[in-house]
Amino acid sequence: MAYQSYRNSTLGNSLQEINFRGSLNTYRFCHNAWTFVLNDVEFREVTELVKVDKVKIVACDGKNAGSNTTE
Amino acid sequence: PKLYRSVIEDVINDVRDIFLDEGVDEQVLMELKTLWENKLMQSRAVDGFHSEEQQLLLQVQQQHQTQQQQHHHHHHHQQTQPQQTVPQQAQTQQVLIPASQQATAPQVIVPDSKLIQHMNASNMSAAATAATLALPAGVTPVQQILTNSGQLLQVVRAANGAQYIIQPQQSVVLQQQVIPQMQPGGVQAPVIQQVLAPLPGGISPQTGVIIQPQQILFTGNKTQVIPTTVAAPTPAQAQITATGQQQPQAQPAQTQAPLVLQVDGTGDTSSEEDEDEEEDFDDDDDEEEDKEKDGAEDGQVEEEPLNSEDDVSDEEGQELFDTENVVVCQYDKIHRSKNKWKFHLKDGIMNLNGRDYIFSKAIGDAEW
Repeated sequence: MAYQSYRNSTLGNSLQEINFRGSLNTYRFCHNAWTFVLNDVEFREVTELVKVDKVKIVACDGKNAGSNTTE
Repeated sequence: PKLYRSVIEDVINDVRDIFLDEGVDEQVLMELKTLWENKLMQSRAVDGFHSEEQQLLLQVQQQHQTQQQQHHHHHHHQQTQPQQTVPQQAQTQQVLIPASQQATAPQVIVPDSKLIQHMNASNMSAAATAATLALPAGVTPVQQILTNSGQLLQVVRAANGAQYIIQPQQSVVLQQQVIPQMQPGGVQAPVIQQVLAPLPGGISPQTGVIIQPQQILFTGNKTQVIPTTVAAPTPAQAQITATGQQQPQAQPAQTQAPLVLQVDGTGDTSSEEDEDEEEDFDDDDDEEEDKEKDGAEDGQVEEEPLNSEDDVSDEEGQELFDTENVVVCQYDKIHRSKNKWKFHLKDGIMNLNGRDYIFSKAIGDAEW
């Protein structure tokens, strides 16, 4: 809940949409969290392009199921 | 961007109440804020208004003096690496030159007392700050300034705006000796880290901490790590000595137990590229010690096998493994067809090549 309000307020409407492309090295889905390790990725924004040899992406559920277990 | 600023403000204000409730001094809160901003600034060119103002005052006063000196000494060894705004070089090490600083030329010679206080007061943060020195993410260069008195002042640049100078109370000799060596060594981007532990014990452990991350940073670069002469942090020193590249340490400065690890190029270095400096640590430590007793050559021989290990070990990161580029976000949809993956992500914070990015939506493709 806190995160959601944070998302919509503090974060504001941050940067635009980003596209990225690369090759997947590993993927993991555990406890509803995805963890990817991508190689040779290109992150493309309208304004700029960032290339990176290796990136780790950790993604939690963005839908309703998002909640803090500690609370 | 402004985002950071607003986040910081929000947090600080929200936390202020709690801090006061706990009976914690407001000053601590300010310190927290300053340190936070410093860290931020060092990692990217965010305009830190608050702390920077403070720093600016100090800087203006002493900037000239130190800068000149530093220019002199450091220009050679250190490579000018603009912190973040400039496209980062391929080098694994980020060495920030004293001179080429973006926002300001933050060489602030903070009065020792203040520095010490700062360091002491914020134990963790100081360590973190110091750690940041070596760390690429923001990499704060540690600069040595030779003061007129011949004392080496270690300028720790915690952030663009804030530089702390650690004055070595001891080991003056040590430092001096080391310096001349470094230069001829032609070290490329030596981040000379002198962890001086002249400060009260509180700092010592920190220095130990600091050193380590620094070493990690230097992959492929030769750096001289001069362990503080202070006996206190022997473990720290041990770590220090184990910088990725160890050379037959001239150890000129081995007046004391601590091992002076000269990673600089005296020409003897075994391996140029150290992938795993960390792993080398312990091994090198032992070697260093043996070396001292046996002599340079023996040490070299011992070192070589060690260093060859380096090559075998895994390359920790193509670029800056410290900055293993990360993205933390939420996923809307993750899809896969055979080996084709599609990612629909949202609200993410990224750190790529040391820089921070944010997105509200991201779509990606990858093949496994």
